[in-house]
Amino acid sequence: MDLNYTPEDIAFRKQVRTWLEQNLPKTDIRTLDDRLAWHRKLFGAGYLGMGWPKQYGGGGARPMEQAIVADEMARVNAPAPTNGLGLGIVGPTIVVHGTDAQKRRYLKKILSAEELWCQLYSEPNAGSDLAALRTSAVDEGDHFVVNGQKIWTSAGAIADFGLLLARTDTKVAKHKGISCFLMNMRQPGVDVRPLKQITGSSEFCEVFMTNARVEKADQIGKLGEGWAIAQTTLGYERGGRALARVTNYASQHGKLTEVAKRMRRHGKPLIEDPLVRQKLGRIWAEIEVERYQALRTLTLLERGEHPGAGGSLTKLSYSELEKRYMELALEILGPYGQLTQGAPKDLQLEIDTAVGERGSWAYAYLWSRAGTIYAGSSEIQKNVIGERILGLPKESRADRVGGKA
Amino acid sequence: MNFSFSDDQVLLKNSVRAALDEQCKPAHVRAMFDDPKGFGDALWGEMAKLGWLGLPFPEEQGGAGLGLVELALVLEEMGRAAYPGPFFATVVLGGLGLMLGGSDAQKDKWLSAIASGKARATAALVEEQLDWDPASTTATVEKSGSGWTISGLKRFVPWAHVADVVLVPARSPEGLSLFLVDPKSAGVTVAPMVGIDLATRWSEMRLDKVAVGGDAIVGQPGTAGPVVEALLRRAAVMSSAEMLGAARRCLDMSVEYAKVREQFGQPIGSYQAIRHRCAEMLLEAENAHAAVYYAAWALTAGAEDAAVASSICKSYVNEAARKVCGDAIQVHGGIGFTWEYDLHLYMKRAKGLEPLYGDTEYHRELITRHVTSSR
Repeated sequence: MDLNYTPEDIAFRKQVRTWLEQNLPKTDIRTLDDRLAWHRKLFGAGYLGMGWPKQYGGGGARPMEQAIVADEMARVNAPAPTNGLGLGIVGPTIVVHGTDAQKRRYLKKILSAEELWCQLYSEPNAGSDLAALRTSAVDEGDHFVVNGQKIWTSAGAIADFGLLLARTDTKVAKHKGISCFLMNMRQPGVDVRPLKQITGSSEFCEVFMTNARVEKADQIGKLGEGWAIAQTTLGYERGGRALARVTNYASQHGKLTEVAKRMRRHGKPLIEDPLVRQKLGRIWAEIEVERYQALRTLTLLERGEHPGAGGSLTKLSYSELEKRYMELALEILGPYGQLTQGAPKDLQLEIDTAVGERGSWAYAYLWSRAGTIYAGSSEIQKNVIGERILGLPKESRADRVGGKA
Repeated sequence: MNFSFSDDQVLLKNSVRAALDEQCKPAHVRAMFDDPKGFGDALWGEMAKLGWLGLPFPEEQGGAGLGLVELALVLEEMGRAAYPGPFFATVVLGGLGLMLGGSDAQKDKWLSAIASGKARATAALVEEQLDWDPASTTATVEKSGSGWTISGLKRFVPWAHVADVVLVPARSPEGLSLFLVDPKSAGVTVAPMVGIDLATRWSEMRLDKVAVGGDAIVGQPGTAGPVVEALLRRAAVMSSAEMLGAARRCLDMSVEYAKVREQFGQPIGSYQAIRHRCAEMLLEAENAHAAVYYAAWALTAGAEDAAVASSICKSYVNEAARKVCGDAIQVHGGIGFTWEYDLHLYMKRAKGLEPLYGDTEYHRELITRHVTSSR
C-alpha cells in the first residue's frame, strides 16, 4: 500500500497542468462550434481516447494518466469535451465488441468529434426493466428495419449516430432476444424531439424510429448478445472519472465555506454556527471517502482488472452523496441557491455538470436528482450488489415465472 | 499509487484470522464475561509468540517494525472476533504512546516487555466531562523532590485493572505533561465501569497525590500536548479498524442469515426490503475500509493530510458501524435480539468504541477547522 503518486505520474500531472494553463479557453463556451473547437484541441493534445488502442487513434495510456487528465481538467473547471457518450460508452463498446472494420470506420471520428453519438437504450416502458424493451429490428436480408420509441437519449438532438438496443427475437427469454447496433440518426425514419426536464433545459430527447434502416455491417456482436454487451458498457467510464468528480465536489465545498463566512444568522456568521460546521465537516468526510475509493478503483484498473459489479457500489455511493451534498448547498445558500438569474457574482456557481453544460447552484441541485435514476437507478444498483456481490437469492418476479428469464 | 495490500499484509491478515477463528471463538468471548481478569493468558502468550504484541515497535525494542496499516489489519480481525483482552490498550494506547513521546530508556524498558508479553499498558485519555481535547485536562501535577505528585480523576480507562503502566496526562505549571503511572501505586484507586460490551473492561482511575519518580515523565514538562494529540489520532484510527471488523462480522452474519431464513415461502434475502438494506450495509463497510486504511497509511507515511484523515476516518466509521450493526439486528429480527445469538458481541464492540477517542461531532469539528484554515 503506497498512496503516493509515482514521480512519472507527478511529472505527467505537471505537464497536463501546464497545457491547460496555456490552452484553456479564455472566454465562455456558448455554441456547439465553440465546444467542438475545444474538443479538437483536447484531441490534438492526446487527451481524448487515451486508453484506446493506438492503431485506431487512441493513446494506449494507463488508467492513471486518464484519471489525471480528467482530474486536472476538473481542477481548473475546464469545459468537458463534446461527444461524451461517444467517448464514454460507444467508443469503448466498439473497442471491446466491434469488428476491425467497425473500429476503423468509427473510432477515429468519435475522437475527432466529426461524428457525434447518442445512446438508444431506455424506452417509455423499459426504464429500470430495460430488458423489457420493445423497439424491434427485423432482418430484411441485407439490412435491419427498426421500429419503436426511445427516451432519455442524451445528446440526441446533435447526434449523427446512435448505439441502439433492439429486439431481434420475440420468442426467447427477454434478455436473450436483444441485439446491439450502430444506427445512423440522419435518415428519414428517425425523428428526434427534445425532452424538457425539471431544469428547464433539454439535454435529453425522445427518438421515434419508423422503418429506420440499420446496415448488417453495423451490428455489434452476435444476434441476441445485446443485453450482455449493454451490461459491460454501463461501467466503462466510472473508474476514470471518479477523481475528477471529487475534485469538482471539493471546489464546490470551498465556495460553500466562503458563502458560510458571509451569510449570517442571529447576528453571527453562519460559519460560526456549530450545526453548519458539523454539516460541512460531515460532507467533507464523505467527499474525501469518495476520493479514497477512487484511488482503490484506480488501483484495480491499473492492474488491468475490471471493477465489475463493484461499479454499482461506486455509482450508488457518489450519486446518493451528490443529492445529500446539493441539499446542503441549498440550505447554506438559502434562496440564493435557487436563483437561475440575477445571482450576485460571488454567490454563483459555474461548474460542469454531468452533461457538460455550465450552470448555477440551482441547476446543479436539480441535476443531482438525475444521478440516482440514470444508468441504473439506486434501487437497481442495490439489486445488482445484493445478487452479484453478496450472493443473495434472486427475487421471485412475474417475468421470471415459467422459466422465461 | 497502490491502494491494495501487499502479499505480506494479506498473509498477516490471514494468519490473524486463522489464529482468532481457532482460539477466539464466540464461546471464548463469552467465557471471559465473568472472568475476573477478562482475558485469557494462553491467547496472550500466543499473541506474543506470533509477534502481534510488538508489531509496530522498532526491532531494537523487540518489535517487528511494521506500520499502522499492518496494525489496523490485526485490529480489524480482533473486532471481527470481538477479541476480549487488553491488546488495543497495551499496543496502541501504551505502546504507540511510548513510541511517540518516550525516552530511549522508557522505550527500552516497556516496549520490549510489552512485545514479549510480560507487560501490559494503557492510557487515561479522558476525564469526567468527556472532552477529548487534551487542552481540557484538569488532572494536576506538582514537583515534589526529585519526582512529582499527580492528582485527578480519569474515566473510561481501558483495561487499567490489568495494566502494569498507565500513561496519564496531567497539568503542570509549564502546561500539559505526560506521566507513566503504576496503577498499583499508593493513592491510585481503580474501580470497574461495566459497559454493555462485557468483553471490554473500562475503569475509573482516581489519583490522589500519587507520587512518581523523576524518570516517570514522558518528554519534558509542558510538552505533552502534541504527543497526546498524535496518540489520540492513532487511537481514533485503530479503534475504527476494530469497529470495521465488528461491522464486517455483522454484515457477513446478516447476509448468511438472509440466504437461509425463509418467510412467506422465500428466503428473506430475495426481498428487496432486506436485499437493499444489505447492499447499503456493504457500501458503508467498503467506505469504512477505505477510510481506515487511507488514514492508517497517511499516519505511517507522515502524509500532510494525516491529521484530517484521522478525523475523517473516525467520524465516518462511527456512523458506518452504527448503521451496519444496527441494520444487522433488524435483518435478523427476533433472533438478533437474543443473548444466545452471537450478533450482539460484535454490535456491542462497535458501540463501545464509538464515543471513545473523539466522538463523531468532535472529529467533524476538527475537520471543519482544518478545511476552513487550509483555504
